[in-house]
Amino acid sequence: MTASPTTPPIPTAPDLNLTERKAKPTWGRMGTYAAGIVISLWILIPLFFFFSMAFTTQETVRSYPKNFLPFIPFSTSTMEFFLRSDGVGEGLINSVIVAVLTLILSTLLATPAGYAVSRYLFPGRDLFRLGILAVRAFPIVVLSIPLAVLFLRYNLFDSLLSLALMHTALAMPTSVLIIASVFASVPYELEEAGQVFGATPLQSFRHIVVPLVLPGIAASSVFTFVLSWNEVFAASILTLENRTLPALLLNQLSESSDAYQFAGGFFLMVPSIIFMFFIRKHLFNMWGQVSK
Amino acid sequence: MAAKPGVRRRIRLTPYLLILPTLLFLAAFFAYPMVQGLILAVYDDEATLPLLDSPDLSGDKVGGLAQGVQLDVLGQQGNRFDGEVTNDLLTEQWFRITGTGSEGAPADGWAPETRVRVRDEAADGTPRGGTIRTKLAAGADPLTDLYETPSESAEIIARIEAREAVAIEDVATLELWFEVVANDDAIAEGATDAQGWVPSRFIQVMGEEGERARVDRGTDGEFTSRFVEKMFDDRKFGPAWQTTLILMALILPLQFVLATLMALVIHARLKATSWFLYLFSLPMGMSDLAVGILFFSMFTSSGMINSVLEGFGFIDDPKVFLSADTRWWIIAAIVLAELWRATSIVMVIIVSGLQAIPDETLEAAELFGASYWQRVRHIMLPLLRPSIQVALILRTILAFQVFAVVIALGGGEVVTVLANETYRQYFGLRNTNVASAYAIFILLLSLASAFFYLRALRSQQELNA
Repeated sequence: MTASPTTPPIPTAPDLNLTERKAKPTWGRMGTYAAGIVISLWILIPLFFFFSMAFTTQETVRSYPKNFLPFIPFSTSTMEFFLRSDGVGEGLINSVIVAVLTLILSTLLATPAGYAVSRYLFPGRDLFRLGILAVRAFPIVVLSIPLAVLFLRYNLFDSLLSLALMHTALAMPTSVLIIASVFASVPYELEEAGQVFGATPLQSFRHIVVPLVLPGIAASSVFTFVLSWNEVFAASILTLENRTLPALLLNQLSESSDAYQFAGGFFLMVPSIIFMFFIRKHLFNMWGQVSK
Repeated sequence: MAAKPGVRRRIRLTPYLLILPTLLFLAAFFAYPMVQGLILAVYDDEATLPLLDSPDLSGDKVGGLAQGVQLDVLGQQGNRFDGEVTNDLLTEQWFRITGTGSEGAPADGWAPETRVRVRDEAADGTPRGGTIRTKLAAGADPLTDLYETPSESAEIIARIEAREAVAIEDVATLELWFEVVANDDAIAEGATDAQGWVPSRFIQVMGEEGERARVDRGTDGEFTSRFVEKMFDDRKFGPAWQTTLILMALILPLQFVLATLMALVIHARLKATSWFLYLFSLPMGMSDLAVGILFFSMFTSSGMINSVLEGFGFIDDPKVFLSADTRWWIIAAIVLAELWRATSIVMVIIVSGLQAIPDETLEAAELFGASYWQRVRHIMLPLLRPSIQVALILRTILAFQVFAVVIALGGGEVVTVLANETYRQYFGLRNTNVASAYAIFILLLSLASAFFYLRALRSQQELNA
């Protein structure tokens, strides 16, 4: 249910081959373009209308019928109204805190594990990978209730840390698999070469591997951030006073105005849109790996 | 296995140390709660309340009463209680008082708070002195008894006149214990007819004179199918799983067609492919709640769909899509929202699968005159089976958990799904055990469907082989 960036699976697929085939324009090609454009419109039109609702006056949001042509009047008043509403500021800050905690925790824990899986052949390695995959397949719904009960028992309920711990458990499997594939893309021979030229194992790791894997690990971290930012079920179950933005929005759905909801929805979407833009080229070497 | 002499297999510790933090974390925050969840669904740790033969925690157990049994109260007694006083306790205060007894000798003993009018308090509210109250009832004994210990069953060590000034030396808090027996109706339904003592914190006393009570919670746990039965009997359970299945049956096929179409567009390697890829995968990272709200903004009666329809003159009045009477429109909106949001992940998996098909295979087919459709139907789709299997498992598991989109579009009342019922049981009804039963039910459905896909798709492959 959650929120994607839904954790995709791990095959060892080759990088996406984006080089175009040299071919003359044909009817088939134009048909493909047409299909691509139609699908793009199916994605874009709802987004366009939604964003214009988030950036217009509240009167326009309430009005009917709306003048959708040529443009809906642009205004930041809806957005300002949302940001000044009760609890929104705190919700945003809580969301950022939880997402950053999740990012730090899961990157710290998953990086060594990813390195171990990609660099060492050890008894139990396949079992570990399988276990990790199984964790990813388990439903969030199933995990949230008992965790809430446990956190209540240990007085960790309604704390941002407890939510971050839960999100870390959710994000960890995908982080491990992505980071493993990032390390796997740096040949071990490079490290060896460094040692041949007199570097200690640690030095060659520090000066050769780290710079090469940093972008991939950064991408995995951002993925974790987005996952935590989006997650709503566990956030609603585990927090009461310290609501994160999605939990706050869900809780307010029945009693808030349309303008409030649209602006809130926009805020929820922003990180993922930026994220997808930066990783779009790496989508397949990152997630292609994650699907078998 | 016989190892070669002299060759010792060295097991390196490093990789184990590297994965240890992850393992420990998952054990603490995944495996342990998972087991707890399973236990919550089938184990009631407050199932029965033991009946004791005396008003004392060390008394012998003479029987047990299930949660909810209606009781008749036969008697009551206070017992010294030293723990923290909470709301669910019924308590009374006793004072140790000193003064002059009815025979002129100094008296020192315990009396209930109700017998003393406090007239002097310390700054912090601690009573320091007062007078003995007059008994108002006609014919009542005018003297007040002082007991050796704060209990009505203790020995009476002195008697004291009414209106006598006394000093309050000590205060004791007593918890009331009740002697109870299950009422006739409960016994007829199978409750034990044993009669015994229970502390007030486990029962709710009712009736004008406090003559009736009900078992609030027990202290002895037991395995029970009560929560699972309660889930199955819940009137929302049927609609919830039916809607979940209907949604899945509507969404999955459409999603796979659309995802395959997207994947074929990407696979065609056009000039604009990287832009198409960005646009197609744009919804992949989006919050399901945000997408729910997005489609709400389209379908709400003053929303974009109505505006566009009216703008082009197709309708005169806005159509109401999302209301209690338009269940199927709500479902249609959910299907569209899920289709919009979650198709990209299927596309990514299918594109990965397509990438693994060698160009030569497709070119060979083209040389032999296979049309595009024939290549898709007879080469790509069969070779994509493993990818489709992975995507199916993933999507089905996620489909059982669809939640925020449903709430955003339907409010969770008219159209409800399993995850929403879990949430409602936990938050609305505060019924953690039944919520756990729902969670476990979702888990079992997920496992069953994953198993089903693995079997179904494998046996087909074997048949083809």
